[in-house]
Amino acid sequence: MTTTRRIGMTVNGERHEAEVEVRTTLVDFLRGTLGLTGTHVGCEHGVCGACTVLWNGKAVRSCIMLAVQADGAEVKTVEGLADGATLHPIQQAFLEKHGLQCGFCTPGFMMSIHELLTRTSAPTDDEIVDTLGGHICRCTGYQAIVEAVHLAVEKMRASK
Amino acid sequence: MSGVDDIPKSVAGLPNTSPRYIGQPVERLEDPALLTGRTQFIDDVVLPRMLHCAILRSPHAHARIVAVDTSEAAKLPGVVAVVTGEDAKRWSNPTMTVPPGWGTHCLATDKARFVGEPVAAVAAVSRYVAEDALELIGVEYESLPAVADARKALEPGSPLLFEEHGHNVMLQKVFTWGDVDAAFASAVHVVQQQFRWNRLGANPLETFGVVSEWDVVDGTLTCRGSFQAQNHFAMARAMVFNLPLNKVRFISHPHGGSFGGKGGARGTDITALLSRKAGGRPVKWIEDRMEYLAGGASQAWDRHYDAAIALDTNGKVTGFKVKLLDDLGATAEGWGAVSAAKPLTNFTGCYAIPAAQYDLTIVATNKLPGSPYRGMGPPPHNWVLEQLMDLAARKLAFDPAEIRRRNFIPPEAFPYTIASGNEYDSGDYRAALETALEMADYPALRAEQLRLRSEGRYVGIGLVNTIEPGVFDWNAYAIVGQPGTGVPEGATVAIDLFGKLTIKVGFALEGQGQYTVAAQVLADYFAVDIADVRVVALDTLSAPPHFGPGGSRLGVALTGAVLGAAQRLTEKLIAVAAVLFQTTPEHVELRNGMIGVKGMPEAQMPFQQVAQTMLARSDLLPPGIDPNPESTFVWTAPGRTPADDQGRAKSYLTAANACHIVLVEVDIETAQVHIKKYWIADDCGTRLNPANVEGQTQGGVAQGVGAALLEEAVYDEDAQLRTSTFMDYLLPTIYEVPMTEKRALCTPSPFTPLGAKGCGEGAMHTTPAAILCAINDALAPLGVALFEVPASPQRIWTLLQGAAPR
Repeated sequence: MTTTRRIGMTVNGERHEAEVEVRTTLVDFLRGTLGLTGTHVGCEHGVCGACTVLWNGKAVRSCIMLAVQADGAEVKTVEGLADGATLHPIQQAFLEKHGLQCGFCTPGFMMSIHELLTRTSAPTDDEIVDTLGGHICRCTGYQAIVEAVHLAVEKMRASK
Repeated sequence: MSGVDDIPKSVAGLPNTSPRYIGQPVERLEDPALLTGRTQFIDDVVLPRMLHCAILRSPHAHARIVAVDTSEAAKLPGVVAVVTGEDAKRWSNPTMTVPPGWGTHCLATDKARFVGEPVAAVAAVSRYVAEDALELIGVEYESLPAVADARKALEPGSPLLFEEHGHNVMLQKVFTWGDVDAAFASAVHVVQQQFRWNRLGANPLETFGVVSEWDVVDGTLTCRGSFQAQNHFAMARAMVFNLPLNKVRFISHPHGGSFGGKGGARGTDITALLSRKAGGRPVKWIEDRMEYLAGGASQAWDRHYDAAIALDTNGKVTGFKVKLLDDLGATAEGWGAVSAAKPLTNFTGCYAIPAAQYDLTIVATNKLPGSPYRGMGPPPHNWVLEQLMDLAARKLAFDPAEIRRRNFIPPEAFPYTIASGNEYDSGDYRAALETALEMADYPALRAEQLRLRSEGRYVGIGLVNTIEPGVFDWNAYAIVGQPGTGVPEGATVAIDLFGKLTIKVGFALEGQGQYTVAAQVLADYFAVDIADVRVVALDTLSAPPHFGPGGSRLGVALTGAVLGAAQRLTEKLIAVAAVLFQTTPEHVELRNGMIGVKGMPEAQMPFQQVAQTMLARSDLLPPGIDPNPESTFVWTAPGRTPADDQGRAKSYLTAANACHIVLVEVDIETAQVHIKKYWIADDCGTRLNPANVEGQTQGGVAQGVGAALLEEAVYDEDAQLRTSTFMDYLLPTIYEVPMTEKRALCTPSPFTPLGAKGCGEGAMHTTPAAILCAINDALAPLGVALFEVPASPQRIWTLLQGAAPR
């Protein structure tokens, strides 16, 4: 029941090693063991998207993935978005467009948007909707989030 | 000393000729921390020696608890404490309820009354170990017959939730306002219809969480958690545990949404008992989503309506009758009954209806106790009224817009007292309607509808107007047994030695941008940069009297508290400055951030300098002067009245209004509803931060879409829950929620600080009715109509099976 295994992963550019119970979820490892509490748990069954992180560049639900599955992986969380005191263009766009209210779901949204905008600098409306479609926001009604994505695209294009 | 009447009712009344922030879509102060993951939500809190709680819940809807054996669980390594109903009985009281007398202990004692009711709980070194321990607890249940249907719960011989009452009726009363019988007797037309609104609920993305610490030496209880109204929960815990209120300290953390129900009374009590049993170690419980859906504050508004309007030949509504059977579930612990009372605040909607009747029955069943949810009761009521207006329009061959025009309260009638007793402050309902019609290009929209119908497509237009009662008051809920008039909200404003401003409040972040609004107001009052203002939350023992967000009140109440405190602080500054200027206070004023002598533009100094003198130059101050540049003001709505025997009171202070128009298409092959276009004309008076208001509106649209089309907590006939995950309980995503076109109108409130009206419940009051009316407009050619929520594909498909041949 409590088999443990030693794992290692790079999170936001920093190497971590730890002995974990194999049943530990990735989100519990990130939040509990590493103290990276910016990633949130909304449903614990893979529907709401609040816990989304990047796993080797791919947006994944860290609540339905085990920490041992991320052994050796490159993981990025919301804490890895900003560059020191400078917000990432996605964060800045959310700020300017009021793309968040309670902010609980926001880190997950931003990681999926980050994956999209890494893949393409000119997403279509359908691509944007399909990216946001994997997430639930109970506060905003999505309109300001869509506006934030468009602004982030502009900002990232301008910074290139 | 200045008071509530001195608070300016418009921005022009501020001591600043060029305000920069109020009315602007100011970026939110709370966002940088949220966007970088630094905001400390309750699950991010770690305390020394903290334990983790897991709760064992009843799998039965109704069962006597014969025995609970926790001996094996207690032996599991890592388990520190286990509690059962016996501990709850020994150390706590049943929770207080509204109506009174329908509550239980936090853990089931004699019997379990709903699926998901807590039966036992464990505190262990990790949540994983605590959940392991639950599997080692043995509970012997004796299954009892359960009742899941409110109508059956009224029948003789029904299973009883509380045997001592001898029945399941929590409340039954008929409220009559005006001569409603005469209105119906003399009516030319009567439109009557039954409606069914099924259970749904708040579902904030963050569930409830708490860390409780019972200091067994000094007998104090400290609870950190995501409490929407921290003092309300602190007071209730003092009563549950027989503690003096000053031995209970609640610290509310920023929470990931609430929408009415955040507070988790049972979880708080259970962790408090576990902490006590664990010798005072802090115990954390984070509700998981299944716990929330089965046993949390996740369900509201389980209603059976039978309603009618009486009309004269001109389509003028002369009477409105509502018979409501409200299924509150197993207990009255969740303040859900308040939702049956709140419709008194806007009973007759935007219309001048002189007589009305409310025949209200609240009944107990073996389902989850009902909780508050955004809108707090009127959303189903508004749907009933608006759908009846549409039915009447069809019967009288009026356009839905025209029947509404004929019944609006005219703008010159305000302040206007509605039949059920509340007073609407101001509004221009016709203006909102005409604005929305123009936005939608209504004649063209109807033409398009006809064209599409000729192609065999079933599109419908929904057009509804509603009131959003704002600035709640306890007196609105007197009919269900809630005591009190007035809801105080306090703020303290302080100037520090370096000349910066701090606002101290008694509520945590929840998502509406309230800290930003407070900072906007204070920055404009003192004519400083908004970056010079910080807002901090205090706990229940250090904050001035407070309630926090709820009932669309905080924007207005907080503005009043901040301005009231700023005015009192200004009086202190003036008293000191008068000494420095060698004059008397009546000759000194605050103007654009300067304290100066009236009529002498050059005789002035920055207000910060006066505060610094108070804090660091006592040699310049006369004896007896108050040297503290800090003031507190507790704002409460003026002019509220206690409820009379028919529940009539001046309750909610403001009445915002909106007109929504929506175009939907019903795909009659798949029975799915597609929202194609959506327009909103909305009037909530002065908009303190228009971006915040738009966010509230759009968020309300999303929740309205969920209510109309998706969300339903389903129980089978044995009261077993069928929707315990987000795969079964469907929340609206971007695929369902329309991007809306919005336009703001403004009739300022004559009664409130800066003329703002409550707007936090947003479109939830309007959107469900708009969509449901639109669906019935779409289905009209088929001769069928839906009067049950949500309008799921299955319900529409079933309806279409009985439709006229196409």
